[in-house]
Amino acid sequence: MHRLTAAIYPLAAMIGVIALWYATVIFFAVPKYILPLPGDVYQRIREDLEFLLWHSLITVLETLGGFALSIALGIPIAIALVASRTLDRALMPWLILSQTFPKVALAPLIVVWFGLGFTPKLLVTFLVAFFPIVISTIVGLRSIEREMIELAQSMRATTLQMFWHFRLPLALPNIFAGLKVSVAFAVVGAVIAEWVGASAGLGYLLMRANGNLDTTLLFAVLAALMVIGVFLYYAVEVIERLSIPWHVVVRLQDMARGA
Amino acid sequence: MPQAIALKSVSKTFGSGTQRVDALLDIDLDVGKGEFVSVVGASGCGKSTMLRLIAGLMAPTSGVVEIGGRPIDGPDPGIGIVFQTPVLLPWRSVRRNVELQLDIRRNADPAARGQVDALLKLVGLSGFAERKPYELSGGMQQRVSICRALVHDPSLLLMDEPFGALDALTREQMNMELQRIWMETRKTVLFITHSITESVLLGDRVVVMTPRPGRIMEIVPVPVPRPRDFSIMRMPEFHTACDRVRQLMNAAGMTE
Repeated sequence: MHRLTAAIYPLAAMIGVIALWYATVIFFAVPKYILPLPGDVYQRIREDLEFLLWHSLITVLETLGGFALSIALGIPIAIALVASRTLDRALMPWLILSQTFPKVALAPLIVVWFGLGFTPKLLVTFLVAFFPIVISTIVGLRSIEREMIELAQSMRATTLQMFWHFRLPLALPNIFAGLKVSVAFAVVGAVIAEWVGASAGLGYLLMRANGNLDTTLLFAVLAALMVIGVFLYYAVEVIERLSIPWHVVVRLQDMARGA
Repeated sequence: MPQAIALKSVSKTFGSGTQRVDALLDIDLDVGKGEFVSVVGASGCGKSTMLRLIAGLMAPTSGVVEIGGRPIDGPDPGIGIVFQTPVLLPWRSVRRNVELQLDIRRNADPAARGQVDALLKLVGLSGFAERKPYELSGGMQQRVSICRALVHDPSLLLMDEPFGALDALTREQMNMELQRIWMETRKTVLFITHSITESVLLGDRVVVMTPRPGRIMEIVPVPVPRPRDFSIMRMPEFHTACDRVRQLMNAAGMTE
């Protein structure tokens, strides 16, 4: 019941925005190629559903591929940086520097190097999405209480036991925070990669719709991207809930939901 | 009495140059097997540092730490530590938290595993073995950490202000329980506290320390028979010991 009441507010805001949208288009007689009506967009999504789903599937696969690569490389990189002071000193400044310039600028270069297939999409997505995972994993692995380390030492834990029984599980809440940021970035990465050179996917569709002044299709693609973003974010959150039910934030959320 | 712990002219300094802090200076201490020794002093007197040296968690700058007559190099296998906070792993149940000690030490002895239930019973947590730490109160969590410190049957129990974070009532209750556990298990206990009452109530002897640099000022014997309960607070021997500890601390410019 409480959840239902909570849902009323964003729903009311949405209805308000849609009403304003209708009013603006009708009142100012905005042409369809500038701003189509929500109804037109809805109509278009229904008509082209299969087509949109197919391109969405491509983008989702690229996103998940790049996200998986970000996890597969980001977490080990973080572990290496935490384990070795030398590596941390040598690489961390470069990692930070690599994040200060727009990764979008690298996308054309990657297309030159790797062509138009799946690989460049994977790489661009990885470049955009891996950093939050590295940073949050580092923070997680380092944020262990002194007494916890001393407890492990008093039990004569080996380095591997220390990592496996203490550091890694204690880092999971931070790692998941990074994963949630990363998965949202990954969608952006996949779309950017498709802009630069692709023959399928929602990014490609955006470019094509743009070229044709097909604004209705543009909006339909934006809607699809929104759905994908929200879906992937909540998918990560569900996995988080299942992996670390003991974490205080997860418990508080469950309490708020009356679970 | 055979020797459990011996500190021989132990000093510990942190940092160097202007940052240099003498945490402990020239400490000599003998603790007999099965003895309950309290260490009391204001914050910054190096009592926690002393515990960490005995635990082998850090090495002394000079001097020797011996456990069971042998100089140590790192944590001795026969110690169990209780910290000020319970430091339990939140994803492990109460039972699994106690078993952590055995898991890490790769102790597969079924007798030791079987000991877990007996220990939980000893601290009054029989019905809570499958609960998660966050379902327990602070006092109950600290009891779990006491079980964890005892499950591998160590000869030496090191306690670093274990009840400092508990409310007064729970604290008194835990004092009595600790005494009972000690009388049943007869471990050697080194008990760090900043409460004069607690140190005298529990200790066979009370080591009074002065701050900066941390030294042992005097060791006050507590000739009060056991089991002790809070009624001993009316006994003159208890008062004498408390007064002596307080005098020493006041003389060193420390207030409780």
